Amino acid sequence: MADGGVTLAQHREIDPAEFTLRKRLPRKLPQRRNDVYVNMKTDFRAQLARCQRLLEGGEFNEICIHGLGLAINRAINIALQLQGNGLGALRLAPNTSTVELVDDLEPETDQGEPVSRTRNNSAIHIKVFRADPQ
Amino acid sequence: MQSTRNGGLEKFKKIGKTEEESPLPFPELPPDVVEMKVKEGSKIRNLMCFAVSRMEGESTRQIVFSGSGRAVTKTITCVEIMKRKVGGLHQVTKLRYQSLREVWESREQREPKGENLTVHKNVPSICILLSKDPLDPQQHGYQPPESLTGLWTPEEDFIEEASLSLRGAKRPLLSPSPESGSKRLSVEPPQHLVD
Repeated sequence: MADGGVTLAQHREIDPAEFTLRKRLPRKLPQRRNDVYVNMKTDFRAQLARCQRLLEGGEFNEICIHGLGLAINRAINIALQLQGNGLGALRLAPNTSTVELVDDLEPETDQGEPVSRTRNNSAIHIKVFRADPQ
Repeated sequence: MQSTRNGGLEKFKKIGKTEEESPLPFPELPPDVVEMKVKEGSKIRNLMCFAVSRMEGESTRQIVFSGSGRAVTKTITCVEIMKRKVGGLHQVTKLRYQSLREVWESREQREPKGENLTVHKNVPSICILLSKDPLDPQQHGYQPPESLTGLWTPEEDFIEEASLSLRGAKRPLLSPSPESGSKRLSVEPPQHLVD
């Protein structure tokens, strides 16, 4: 991943004739076996089923569902559906955070220099766990 | 309805939308608490101007941000911005479905027009309470104030990620947070604090 050149702080518009935008992957995030990172590419039902399997497997008392940007809504939907299917025994504990993302702007022309700009996205982290039996 | 790309709604035009009102899911809220209702078209700048100026006043101790559907991400963004502008805020986040009722009218010109359509939607929604005064840390969805000087150095980042890879181990408390007792380690997200 190119890290050459200048960092633009708040520059919003880029000329498509001048640059191609490449989004860098977010920083390496913790990946315990019970961390699930939701995305918009994989089928919704498949992601829901994966969370269901992790919870029912009995290996974990809790799972943590993470969603970044557009995937926030999907993460919330999955968490609420798990709770709806869980016969009332599941609790949700959501937390929010800001994640810094970096775009690499690759020059289209030979004269151009690669440039990076950073921006922020919101993220949600939803812990799903069994309520203690009373 | 036939399953077409738009869900069969191309021949209709939305004429009404109502949201079901429900009380805020926080215990013991003052009745006059400021509630920022974030909509899909809301401008963050406008929301924050109002919200920040209220919170900067000494007498306003709490504020709530709520939003549903496409406004959820914006709601979270407002909360994150608020926490950066006004430090030391305690947070509780609640998730639930919001009931929506939309009325669609037929676009067809010829008489008699088709009947109106009422669409019920359950959309994910979020309610976030920010408070200058401490909140009950046992509440589900509680998040302590982020330490303002919690700017991670690259070495600290690396150490935290290495320890996180230990299966089943609790994360050591690395950030210099004053409320070390109330931090719920198993739910802490990575602290990407940026200004």
